[in-house]
Amino acid sequence: MNQTHDHVIRTDGLSKSFGDVQVLKSVNLAVPAHSIFGFLGPNGAGKTTLMKILLGLVRPTGGSGTIFGRDVVRESVAIRERIGYLPQQPRFVEYMTARENLTFAANFFFSGPQPKIRERCEEMLELVGLRDKADRPIKNFSGGEKQRLGIALAQVNYPDLLILDEPASALDPLGRQEVLEVMERLRKHTTVFYSTHILDDVQRVSDRVAILNRGRLLTSGPIEQILNGRDGVVYTLIVKEAPQGFSERLAGLSWVTHVSAPETAGASVWQIGVSDEAAAETALLRFVLEDQNVTVTEFSRKKYELEEIFMELVKGESDGRQS
Amino acid sequence: MVANHELQRAEEWSGLRGFTNLLYKENRAWWGTRRWWINALLWTGMLGGLAAMVVFMLPTIAQATDDPAVAKAGGPIPFGLEMGRTVFFELGAMALAIGVIILCQDLIVDEKQTGLTEWLLAKPVTRRAYVLAKLVASALAVMILLVALPSLACYLLLSARVGSFFPFLPFLGGVGIMIVHTLFYLTLTLMLGTLFNSRPPILGIALGVLLGGNLLAGFLKPLLSVTPLLLGKVASLTAGSQPLPPELLLYPVIASVLWSVIFIVVAVVRFEKTEF
Repeated sequence: MNQTHDHVIRTDGLSKSFGDVQVLKSVNLAVPAHSIFGFLGPNGAGKTTLMKILLGLVRPTGGSGTIFGRDVVRESVAIRERIGYLPQQPRFVEYMTARENLTFAANFFFSGPQPKIRERCEEMLELVGLRDKADRPIKNFSGGEKQRLGIALAQVNYPDLLILDEPASALDPLGRQEVLEVMERLRKHTTVFYSTHILDDVQRVSDRVAILNRGRLLTSGPIEQILNGRDGVVYTLIVKEAPQGFSERLAGLSWVTHVSAPETAGASVWQIGVSDEAAAETALLRFVLEDQNVTVTEFSRKKYELEEIFMELVKGESDGRQS
Repeated sequence: MVANHELQRAEEWSGLRGFTNLLYKENRAWWGTRRWWINALLWTGMLGGLAAMVVFMLPTIAQATDDPAVAKAGGPIPFGLEMGRTVFFELGAMALAIGVIILCQDLIVDEKQTGLTEWLLAKPVTRRAYVLAKLVASALAVMILLVALPSLACYLLLSARVGSFFPFLPFLGGVGIMIVHTLFYLTLTLMLGTLFNSRPPILGIALGVLLGGNLLAGFLKPLLSVTPLLLGKVASLTAGSQPLPPELLLYPVIASVLWSVIFIVVAVVRFEKTEF
């Protein structure tokens, strides 16, 4: 597989303006195959617009995008053969039941045999736990049930790519839980590209993340890498009364990139950035303990919460724009 | 678990991908709900009832008057038949146009507003297929429920009054012209649905063309030749086997058909460019 085909979605300098308002600013995005890709951003960041461009619902004003190596503008119908989409507010044909809606959606992709199509629809109902409600009017469905039906409709063709726009944002905690469970069940079959502003959900199910703010892509990559923060791998060391010259000795290690020690009552909390994670894992604590005057009370690799990273990036970008 | 390779891929001409399934949905909206029988009863009852009143009651009233129009028509019964035909085709064409505008005003707007269009267009369908499926299904339903059934009722009433079959081919010609008239307003309303995102401008413009057009034609006679404004009268005369000069028969019919084609093309082109 070449690089283009390793990535299900790829955008190069993708831009979109509505009049004078630039909603997307030269977005370069790469979504690898078989990932659950969380597309994060505050409201109005441009997440939905980007998804709509990918689906051919909105035309870009600059740059380009491909899905499965096909152009999102010129080959949209062929792309949509292999995509499932759940809009922010799932919509259904109101005069059809859940089962009828599923059959209707399946018929966009398949012409037969009808028993197999029916079987596929039953599988989808089973997947989202709606089999017992399949023949009831959709208007009586709860928000969570509608969302799950929306996922079933998006998944009915076993797409190679599922695009979900805020799949859990309008749901209560139980509904969110149900939707996330369905997403996790789907991960082995397909690539999931979903937008959200619920950071806990992203940290739970995503393996890759991109953060968008005001139409600009701030960061993108594996979630572990994002959670390491922008300073790379950092270790936290809490010691009682660090001896003189301790900071300099740490900084002297070839793989230590930076050392900081904000003072707290009775203890020093050291943040040690490293360039060689393997070396730090085996040698850092050993090096510190060689000094008999140092008492280590805690040693751990610093883990950021996604919320910290998100706030830092989004706030940083906003501050940068103001200055 | 049914794998994708066990299913046959839907094959369609790429330019109209999704048309068959969308047509099924549109037909279902007309024929799979109570909408069809409500419209069937309403229009057959209304237009047929109106024609029945005129055909059967007017001769009795006319008999008691010395109206020269009655004598000119050849007596009270022929007068009733002529008036019944006139009421059905002229008033009927106007009523059907209003009916079509009201029934079809939200064909596209409603789905745009609810987001259903967005969901449908995220499936492997062309936008052309979306518009044409709505057009074909609505045209079929309107022609059957609003035109064919009331026309059949009217034909049977006229035949019952005559005591034998009313001349069929001229009547069919009149119905054909009424179909052209109705299609004009159907395609106009459909096109307006692609141009606007709410109902008021659609209703306003379509009804404005229908009602205001007649007023305007009073000042601008050539309008009658290039619009469907005269088609109700033309349909009535045709159904009554009355001779018509070609400029009165052909020009408005051809112009109306051309307008309908233009409206469909504009609707498709506009919808292709719309962002959702």
